Amino acid sequence: MKNRLKVLRAERDWSQADLAQRLEVSRQSVNAIETGKFDPSLPLAFKLARLFGLRIEEIFLDEEQQG
Amino acid sequence: MFCSIKSPAQRRFVRVCWMSGGLVAVLAVAAAAAFRLWHLKGLPAYPVAVLPALPILWVLFETGRYLAVEKDEFQRNLLVQCMLGGIGGTLATTTAWGYLEAFAHVPHLQTIWIYPIFWLFVGLSMPVVYRRYR
Repeated sequence: MKNRLKVLRAERDWSQADLAQRLEVSRQSVNAIETGKFDPSLPLAFKLARLFGLRIEEIFLDEEQQG
Repeated sequence: MFCSIKSPAQRRFVRVCWMSGGLVAVLAVAAAAAFRLWHLKGLPAYPVAVLPALPILWVLFETGRYLAVEKDEFQRNLLVQCMLGGIGGTLATTTAWGYLEAFAHVPHLQTIWIYPIFWLFVGLSMPVVYRRYR
């Protein structure tokens, strides 16, 4: 699933390792989510949303809705 | 996943796998020695014969425990995919070998090899699964 994680991370000057530490997951997990190869569960998506102070749909893009 | 072990759950799981591997070897040698020394037969032979399988049951239990306690869902997902590869490889190999035994009279495959074959295929699945997420 496409997402804005890389941009959001860059805005805060966080590395993948920094974000992984904040989420309590491995750096590989952040990389897999960021590159759209792994879709996080709802609890992890909510955790991401809370961390960035955004709504889930502001981070993850609904490709079906976008056409 | 286990190339760069991070979480305490992963560390514990890997430690248990190594310990159980060692225990299987020790208990297999001990069981063989017991049968050779005391020529065990009948009921007393069963618990001694099954001793080397106990660490294997321990690893199976710990695998389930790891999947339950690991907080990193991506890491859990990686192990599950590798284990699916292990299950598929084991089923394919043992089924094919069964037909080979039945029709081509190849040597009999003892069932104690099924567990190592499973982990062999789990190991072989790892680079394939990891490449997907590189």
